[in-house]
Amino acid sequence: MTLAIFGTMIVLLLLGFPMMIPLIAGSLIGFVTLFQGFGQLDTMVQQILGGIQPASLIAVPMFIFAADIMTRGQSATRLIDLVMTFVGHIKGGLAVTTATACTLFGAVSGSTQATVVAVGGPLRPRMIKAGYKDSFVLALIVNASDIAFLIPPSIGMIIYGVVSGTSISELFIAGIGPGLLILVLFSIYSYIYAVRNNVPTEPKATWAARGRAVQRALWPLGFPVIIVGGIYGGIFSPTEAAAACVLYALLLEMGIFREMSAKQLYATAKSTGLITAVVFILVGAGAAFSYVISFAQIPQQVLGSIGINEMGPYGVLFTISVAFFVGCMFVDPIVVILIFVPIFAPVVQSVGLDPVLVGTIITLQVAIGSATPPFGCDIFTAIAVFKRPYAEVIKGTPPFIFMLLSVSVLLIFFPQIALFLRDIAFGK
Amino acid sequence: MTSDNLVTPDNEDARTGDPDLLAPLAASPIDEDIDDSSYVSGLPGFLGVIDGAIARIEAVLLALGVLLMAFNTMANVVGRFVFGQSLFFSEEVNRALIVLITFAGISYAARHGRHIRMSAFFDALNPPMRKALMVVIAVVTSATMFMLAWYAVDYVMAQASRGRLLPALQVPVWWIIVWAPLGFFLTGLQYALTAIKNCIDKDIWLSTSTMEGYSNDDAEEV
Repeated sequence: MTLAIFGTMIVLLLLGFPMMIPLIAGSLIGFVTLFQGFGQLDTMVQQILGGIQPASLIAVPMFIFAADIMTRGQSATRLIDLVMTFVGHIKGGLAVTTATACTLFGAVSGSTQATVVAVGGPLRPRMIKAGYKDSFVLALIVNASDIAFLIPPSIGMIIYGVVSGTSISELFIAGIGPGLLILVLFSIYSYIYAVRNNVPTEPKATWAARGRAVQRALWPLGFPVIIVGGIYGGIFSPTEAAAACVLYALLLEMGIFREMSAKQLYATAKSTGLITAVVFILVGAGAAFSYVISFAQIPQQVLGSIGINEMGPYGVLFTISVAFFVGCMFVDPIVVILIFVPIFAPVVQSVGLDPVLVGTIITLQVAIGSATPPFGCDIFTAIAVFKRPYAEVIKGTPPFIFMLLSVSVLLIFFPQIALFLRDIAFGK
Repeated sequence: MTSDNLVTPDNEDARTGDPDLLAPLAASPIDEDIDDSSYVSGLPGFLGVIDGAIARIEAVLLALGVLLMAFNTMANVVGRFVFGQSLFFSEEVNRALIVLITFAGISYAARHGRHIRMSAFFDALNPPMRKALMVVIAVVTSATMFMLAWYAVDYVMAQASRGRLLPALQVPVWWIIVWAPLGFFLTGLQYALTAIKNCIDKDIWLSTSTMEGYSNDDAEEV
């Protein structure tokens, strides 16, 4: 049965079926074999419906909505200008600006794709004009956008939290450390790249210009304050923080900047609803899948056969890292999280690993895998957004992937990178 | 190396992947908004009018669902911090809304070819193969959706006969899940129509209104 389930799922995925179908088919096979026939299929519907209803999942559409409102406005350019005036003049300044702006924008939106569009869109032409190779620029944008996945809010972390029963607040705070570490590494690499390729530097901004940029960026910088501050300070649950972000985004775009009309608000709500539905049907199908494989004790079988019980905590973390990394090279991160988290859940528990650490490692791997050839989905976002051929988009990625993988290894051996802030915030 | 020979890609790179062809691979958030007024149903005549109306209703439900959910969640936060009292029904309203959004949305996404799929191998095939595979995908997806619709009806009926109420709102539980069979059925219908459209039309269609290779619905020509 295990073979039939996973075989069918992989074939359907690769053939290009909508991703809900492999998940539903996997659960169907499970239900029909386990319960000998079609008699229990209403239980499957029940699982799908139950899977989309947890209260903490409401944070997903709310964060998407807030980000969707802000991405249409000026917040991205304002954040870019802010970073630009402060670091633009150093060697490799434009590249550092790109990486930093991606990180900051990641604190506004939880989506990699939105970050590629909002930050990469305006900065790529400037970098090429300044003398950076396009292959470097594309790789930087794609990989730096992945920092957005780790910096709260993170859609991937919310779904991991719900599927594994882990505190989303703790996950959010734990993502900050590794996210910033990646930013530092990317900045160092950008500096070295600029020195070696002799990229000219930008003129230094005056303090007056900096002051203006800070002023203009103050409003969008309210998001990280609400999300990180609110959660760190124990004021908000992630869902409440998400609602506060929507309220704040609406006040900004409709009240203060006055750039959004009621008609645009309707269009934004509709597009948020569409993205939500497409993700949530996967979450629902994933819940049914998770139910059936745990019922059939498939995780124990699969992982037992590769000898996971003798591996110890480091071995388990490495296996998890590799599984999620490879999975995301082929399939959408959310699908990978939905399929793999329930498989690894029992062993994570039995080895006694901190589920927050595991969640941070998984989020990192998912982010790296999404930017890795052959089919990492961020590569295709970049192809679509920048209208560049596949070969060119992936050409500059190896150094970035190397840096990201180093961070993964560091994170396994020095979990404090992630857990340090969490421990302070939640007094562990 | 100088910068100018890098701004324009060399021809070899350009040949390895056509960006316009690969564009629809990307996920939806970056796509433009869907213009509902230009939507044309895949069904002929009177049925088409009904289907078009359903499409409009789905769009309105999606937008209203999100707006209501935002309002409800915000009201709850404000209530708790300003008035020291949460809305006791807030969570149940959100549960109802998320079911509504999901099942109105899967059908809407099917109409506009927005479901997430891994199409890298699919796109590497030649057009006749792609067309054949698209028909297979649409037929299998449609059949799966109809089957789920059937069992969802079963489940909703069972819930209705038990007469359970939502604790805070005091409305029957089946009211909030009745969208599930409807959404599955309409999604199945869309995929069935996509299969038919691919059989009778010479082009390859991702949905009744979205031709392969185009990201928006302007591709429609009837």
